[in-house]
Amino acid sequence: MSDIDVGLMRGTLDLLILKALTWGPRHGYGVADWIEQATGETLLVGEGTLYPALHRLESQKWIEAEWGLSENNRHAKFYKLTAAGRGQLKIGLSAWQQFVEAASRALHASGSPRTA
Amino acid sequence: MTERGGWTRVFRIGVGASHLERDIDQELDFHIAMRTQKLVAAGFAPDAARAKALERFGDMSRVRNSCLDIDYQRERAMRRTNYLSDLRQDITYALRTMRQNAGFTAVVLLTLALGIGANTSTFTLINALVLRTLPVPHPEQLVTIGSASRTGGLSEGSVRNDIASFPVYADVRTQSKSLSGVYATGRTSRLDLLAEPGQKEAEHPRGRFVSANYFTVLQLPAALGRTFSPDEDQVPAGAPVVVLSYGYWIKRFGGDRTAVGRSILINGVPLTIVGVASAAFKGDIVGQPIEIWIPIMEQPALMPNSPMLTDRSISWIQMMGRLAPGISLAQARSEVTGIINRSHLDHATAPERVRIQNDIRESPVQVEMGARGFSYYRRLFAAPLFILMAAVSVVLLIVCANLANLMLARASARGREMSVRMALGANRLRLVQQLLTESLILAVVGGSLGVLLAIWGSSALTALTGGADIETRLDGRVVAFTAAVSLATAILFGLVPALRATRVQLAEALRAQGRGVSSAERGTGKFGLGKMLVVAQVALSVLLLVGTGMLVRSMQRLQSTDIGVARDQLVLIEVDAQRAGYKDVRLTSLMADLAGRAAQVPGVVAASTSENGIFTGTESETTMQVEGFSAQSDADSTIAYDDVGPAYFHAIGAHLEEGRDFEARDDKAGPKVAVLNATAARYFFPHHSALGSHVTSDSSTFEIVGVVSDVEERDLRAKRSRRVYFPTAQIREPPGQFAVEVRAAGDAARMAEPIRRALSAADPLLVLRVQPLSALVDESIAQDRLVSRVVSVFGTLALALAALGLYGVMTYATARRTSEFGLRMALGAEPGDVMRLVLGEAMLLVVGGVIIGMPAALAAMKLVQHQLYQVGLLDWPSIQIALIVLGASAALAGYVPARRAARVGPLVALRDS
Repeated sequence: MSDIDVGLMRGTLDLLILKALTWGPRHGYGVADWIEQATGETLLVGEGTLYPALHRLESQKWIEAEWGLSENNRHAKFYKLTAAGRGQLKIGLSAWQQFVEAASRALHASGSPRTA
Repeated sequence: MTERGGWTRVFRIGVGASHLERDIDQELDFHIAMRTQKLVAAGFAPDAARAKALERFGDMSRVRNSCLDIDYQRERAMRRTNYLSDLRQDITYALRTMRQNAGFTAVVLLTLALGIGANTSTFTLINALVLRTLPVPHPEQLVTIGSASRTGGLSEGSVRNDIASFPVYADVRTQSKSLSGVYATGRTSRLDLLAEPGQKEAEHPRGRFVSANYFTVLQLPAALGRTFSPDEDQVPAGAPVVVLSYGYWIKRFGGDRTAVGRSILINGVPLTIVGVASAAFKGDIVGQPIEIWIPIMEQPALMPNSPMLTDRSISWIQMMGRLAPGISLAQARSEVTGIINRSHLDHATAPERVRIQNDIRESPVQVEMGARGFSYYRRLFAAPLFILMAAVSVVLLIVCANLANLMLARASARGREMSVRMALGANRLRLVQQLLTESLILAVVGGSLGVLLAIWGSSALTALTGGADIETRLDGRVVAFTAAVSLATAILFGLVPALRATRVQLAEALRAQGRGVSSAERGTGKFGLGKMLVVAQVALSVLLLVGTGMLVRSMQRLQSTDIGVARDQLVLIEVDAQRAGYKDVRLTSLMADLAGRAAQVPGVVAASTSENGIFTGTESETTMQVEGFSAQSDADSTIAYDDVGPAYFHAIGAHLEEGRDFEARDDKAGPKVAVLNATAARYFFPHHSALGSHVTSDSSTFEIVGVVSDVEERDLRAKRSRRVYFPTAQIREPPGQFAVEVRAAGDAARMAEPIRRALSAADPLLVLRVQPLSALVDESIAQDRLVSRVVSVFGTLALALAALGLYGVMTYATARRTSEFGLRMALGAEPGDVMRLVLGEAMLLVVGGVIIGMPAALAAMKLVQHQLYQVGLLDWPSIQIALIVLGASAALAGYVPARRAARVGPLVALRDS
């Protein structure tokens, strides 16, 4: 995968994490699990890349972390979307939408536009 | 964690980050475990499942490090925010407390301002005189040649190594290769300057003769116009120009740019102002700023009759050189001393050579670092200033002890607040930080006030130096010093009380409901911290008081020391007759005329004249052979001498031990006569009277007709030296500058003006300097006066602070024991008993302080003993006075609380508890 794609991925990964948390707190594995299922295992190459992103989002105060018990009674770190994170997701989604449409238009264009 | 980042990471994250690592490890472990579990459920073997989980995860250590990095940054930012908000809270809290206790705050600030101000003032002077370098490029390259302190030196006779003659300078300049340049500078004597046509009164700016390369060697450009050019160093009287200092240009010419190019008259010689020196540069002599620089080539024009450019026997030049690139001081020293020694020897006669060789061995030419410039006052005042610095440091320590006590009392009053806050979970470090914040704010504000005080204080100190014009600027070094002192002060007086206040025994403090304080909180038992601080203050006060006593007594000894003349009745008039054109016979009759006129002034007992005067700073030496005495060394045949007018010893009030005074008949025509002082008479004639013997000097033989008691003419501390007197009328030519000595019936100071008027009437053009002898003597002990006066002030301050501290502690201690006293009195104790009890305790503290302070005082005085005059190390009167003063102050400080304690009625005390 080229460098450009990584850059693209990171922004996308942030959005996916925020999205994963809209249904309530999850631990890191839960987030990975959700992304895997929701994307059909196409986006997450190394699951490890998820964790720096989680910690970064925590530093940005878009999500917050709390230790709790997992479904199999293990000590796990749960992440929760904050109000700021919810707002960020909204902004991110519309930006993503615009980006995809613009990129899509450009990539599917049939001829060179006139440059006046 | 070291896989990727290595040592830098270890260092950056440090010890505090371990919990972050633990959390991350746990989080990642959980992920792998969950994934493994899921894969096992999907049918993998456990080992294979784990391997697959790790593979899917990717580079574990990289992920771990990234997370750690992010978390670490976050934690640091958080800590910073917390710290800042804590700090803001602490400051707000401290300010509120200070406002609520405005009286307390004012006392603390005032004390701090005094303590820090005194230190800053003294340091400002030390900085200006001893530490600061000249404001020239690369001052570290400058070297002084000869004595850096003989700024006003002028000596006729044998060649010297401390100041040089101009021909010697010329040799150094042409021959030295280790110096990239070397300039000469010498005194001008008084300048009479007329800046405008028609100006009546001459001005007397401080001038300096300098070689024309002066500004070039110093690498100083002109602020306006130009500095001197090389051709102004060539022909005597061929450089009729001057450069003004910036300050003088502003003061005298109002900063008028057209002043450059203008012609002025100095000593009647027209000179053109060619430039103004840069503003920061006030000359190369610290303590004596220069206002006007004149090329040394103009010396013959301005001072005719003084062949100071050509005569090798006139020494008056100081030299400053700049080291050539790559040359060390030692290299320059060996080259320059070599040049000077050769220069002396090449032009000496055979007998002189022996003496010069001797000098080269015993007092060689000094070549030293010159970055700090020349200074007469540095040498004079450096030692006294360091004594002062020690004294003010002690004062500051007392201030600290006093404030620590105040803070302690205050902190204990807040003991309940502290215990409640700690019970509620505040951590101790936080509370200490809060209390320290308060001390720091106090110290910063006190320090700032101290700096303001120092602006005044340092100029007051300068004034006490009598004559030194020291630039007491608050530069970076002074500010750094004050900041450091303030910080140290805050920690000294704040830390211990803060630690003490937070060392609360919770249960006990809370149990003491409503009672406020328990002794456990304060630690003020019988030997509590508060009392220890008072003992320390008393000890420091003893140190200062004993020191003050000894310095003051040394000063009194100096002032009352017998100099062999009627010190308080004498007025000295220095006359420059040569300047006014007197010579030969006219000069001789002028001397007689002036003495006669002075004697006519009502209230005057007698008047006479002499060449050197007393305490005027001039001295003459001559070689003399004594009949019947074989000289063993050079020193045996050199003797201090003065030539004096008729009835001289009567006029100055000296005591004639044998023989007679000079009389009018001892003139050119009469037989040649001389008077020896007692030291000389005893030295040369140990077994019989000197009268009738003969001495030979300057190819003339004189008969000794009198022996006079020693008269000290120069330095109160000096060992009495041998001296001979000749009648002025009988020496080869009368002196162009001389002094008139006038003895008044009463106080000399009041006679100065009438005498000046009477003498001016003889010739209005004569330059006269009229001063009571006592003023001249005082000037000679200016440094002693500075030290004893200032140390007295600080000694008093220290005493007041210590008494205040004692008062505070005793008041507090007695208030705490109110119920005890009540009980005692209920059980039959008399008020007197209670008073004795309290006073006894106060005295115990004082005695403790004295026991510690006395050895310290003696050790300290040993260090300054060389400054003392006729005062021994164990000076009982000083010690007694110190103890009496201290005891009295302590009694006063203890009396008030003792009386209060004695007034407590049994009922009041019992009700209170």
